[in-house]
Amino acid sequence: MQKLKFLFLTKLDFSSMIGEHHFVLRCVPQVLPEQQVADLDMKVMPGFSSGMFSLDSFGNQLYAGSLLAPHRFFYYRVNGEIIRDDRERRQEAAAPCMRYPTKLTSPSEEMQGYARELWQQELSGLSGNGYGIASRLSDIIHKSFTYAPGSTSVHTTAEEAFQQRCGVCQDYVHVFLALARLYGIPARYVSGLPCGDGATHAWAEVWHEGLWYGLDPTRGCLADEGYIKLNVGRDFNDCPIERGVFRGQADQLQTTYMKVDIL
Amino acid sequence: MCMEDLLAHKEEVNRLMARYGVKFGIYKNGTFKERLFPFDPIPRVIPADDYAELEKGLVQRVTALNLFLKDIYSDKKIIKDGVVPEEFVYRSPGYLAQCEGILPSKGVYSHISGIDLVLGKDGIWYILEDNLRIPSGASYPLIARNLCRRCSPATFRQNKVVDNRNYGQLLRETMDYVNTGGINVIFTPGRYNAAYFEHSFLAEQIGAVLAEPDDLFVSNDKLYYRGNHGTIQVGAIYRRISDEYLDPLCFEPTSLIGVPNIMEVYRAGNVGLMNAPGNGVADDKGIYYFVPKMIKYYLDEEPILKNAPTFLPFYEEDMKYTLEHMERLVIKDVAEAGGYGVIFGRDLTREQLQDLKETVKREPRRFISQEVIDFQDLEIVEGNTTVMRKADLRAFVLAGETVRVWPSGLTRFSRRPDSFVVNSSQGGGFKDTWILSH
Repeated sequence: MQKLKFLFLTKLDFSSMIGEHHFVLRCVPQVLPEQQVADLDMKVMPGFSSGMFSLDSFGNQLYAGSLLAPHRFFYYRVNGEIIRDDRERRQEAAAPCMRYPTKLTSPSEEMQGYARELWQQELSGLSGNGYGIASRLSDIIHKSFTYAPGSTSVHTTAEEAFQQRCGVCQDYVHVFLALARLYGIPARYVSGLPCGDGATHAWAEVWHEGLWYGLDPTRGCLADEGYIKLNVGRDFNDCPIERGVFRGQADQLQTTYMKVDIL
Repeated sequence: MCMEDLLAHKEEVNRLMARYGVKFGIYKNGTFKERLFPFDPIPRVIPADDYAELEKGLVQRVTALNLFLKDIYSDKKIIKDGVVPEEFVYRSPGYLAQCEGILPSKGVYSHISGIDLVLGKDGIWYILEDNLRIPSGASYPLIARNLCRRCSPATFRQNKVVDNRNYGQLLRETMDYVNTGGINVIFTPGRYNAAYFEHSFLAEQIGAVLAEPDDLFVSNDKLYYRGNHGTIQVGAIYRRISDEYLDPLCFEPTSLIGVPNIMEVYRAGNVGLMNAPGNGVADDKGIYYFVPKMIKYYLDEEPILKNAPTFLPFYEEDMKYTLEHMERLVIKDVAEAGGYGVIFGRDLTREQLQDLKETVKREPRRFISQEVIDFQDLEIVEGNTTVMRKADLRAFVLAGETVRVWPSGLTRFSRRPDSFVVNSSQGGGFKDTWILSH
């Protein structure tokens, strides 16, 4: 069991006035038996914003809001305390859609060939042990990929990232998901806040015998009790932390910061 | 049939339709063009007894399809019971995981269904495909009938044709039924949409507001229309825009024609959204095979209307049949739509046949194969004479408190004698469809 204190904020500065701004935020930690939210505060600015919470189809807390009047910045902040305890996880069924490819996680022929080779060389011995296969796969991706910010964008597919063998956390996870699902393992995308400070992170979860296990292919480790889970989905597109549209011609400058401390 | 008088008015009816702006738009080489939809005055005539059977069959089919959609986005019993293999659901481009767990107003998913049929030479109606994602076309026969009545009232005195002018009323009742409180809106992507004429025509018919993207907005999980006299809440929206563009914050982020966060209004149960997003999972070519099974599964009834004999290479037995008889079958790519990816085995060379067989063997789930239906041609006027052309029928089925069939339909025919393609964007025309009252 671990108690964590977290802070996450994002500010968007627009180069000129914008309006008719509609957004969704998935910036609040999921409430789960293994992830209890002991304290939570959220703020959205400018102050005239309004919105509603709901649970989306993947069980994420979703805040859908709007800022209709003209404004030049958008700011949101969440902070609070979390109690993480993986012993508290409950048995659950995996949504079948977590076994099927999406646009961002569709395996190319090259990847299918790679998966077959990997199976013969390293994984066949683990046949039947979904978690074992997945954690080995996570290690392999970690070792064979280069972390290279700027080499990809949010639209980069698993296929493209696999081809260049580099990317950022989102790409590592997409490649992992595409390959894990080829082995029939239910796997999902997770975005959230890992211990430390800096930027938000993405990792993966695989389902094995009724439980979801966190794996971090970018760092080559387990996503354990130091990780705070914000959202899950089939891929990045299902669960972006923030997405918005607005009216107006403006460039935007994004500043984001997060910090998670063990208490 | 006494219709000489009507035939004499062909030019006049077409001229009037042009004048009223009965057009459809197509994009060709990047430019938008509007075309008239040529009208042929010889109606398709369906006798009362035939129609009664058709009607029963269509109600049954659409009832089952609605139950299937409800099941897929909630309990998935039909998958668990092994009736529909899960691949055909989760690999379908029409399946939208973002709709999981959402129960639409009154549990209706396909409010307006366009069921395409052909009449075989054996006198049997066969279902060609189901269109559960905002099918268009009802306005054409509606307005054509009106003009025909005007040009040739005698025709309708002498023939006992069921009045089809109730479409607006049926549509309105359907909207009212799912309305959660507020006005009815028909939502069009705008002036440059292929079916814009129909959007504005239907809005007029049912007394709904015709709204464009800028006219609608979401605030606190409710949908509003910006009127000239302030904002009004919307209770039901018949959106004539496809799923992927509906909400840039839920689906395609680059969509400029959607309403941001309309999906949240829908999820919260604060608007009747017609048709439900995600319906594509029930009307693709792969799932078509399973519709008769759905009817048995959900309704415990024998299907009244037949599918074209269809084989699914996914099943070993069907694969064998498909490979052995490919030269006389039609092979369809499940992922393609709009007449693409349809291959007639008889048109292929020996080499091409072999290639296709290999492709089917490699990707069995991607294809269905069907027996070619020999369907009845219809007469159309050409110059001073008549010629026979391929034609289909789109029946419109509206699901509200009950499921009802509009006693009319859109009969489309192909222009070219050798063509099976009756799609309006391919230069074909249309006919009125008469249901006889006895």
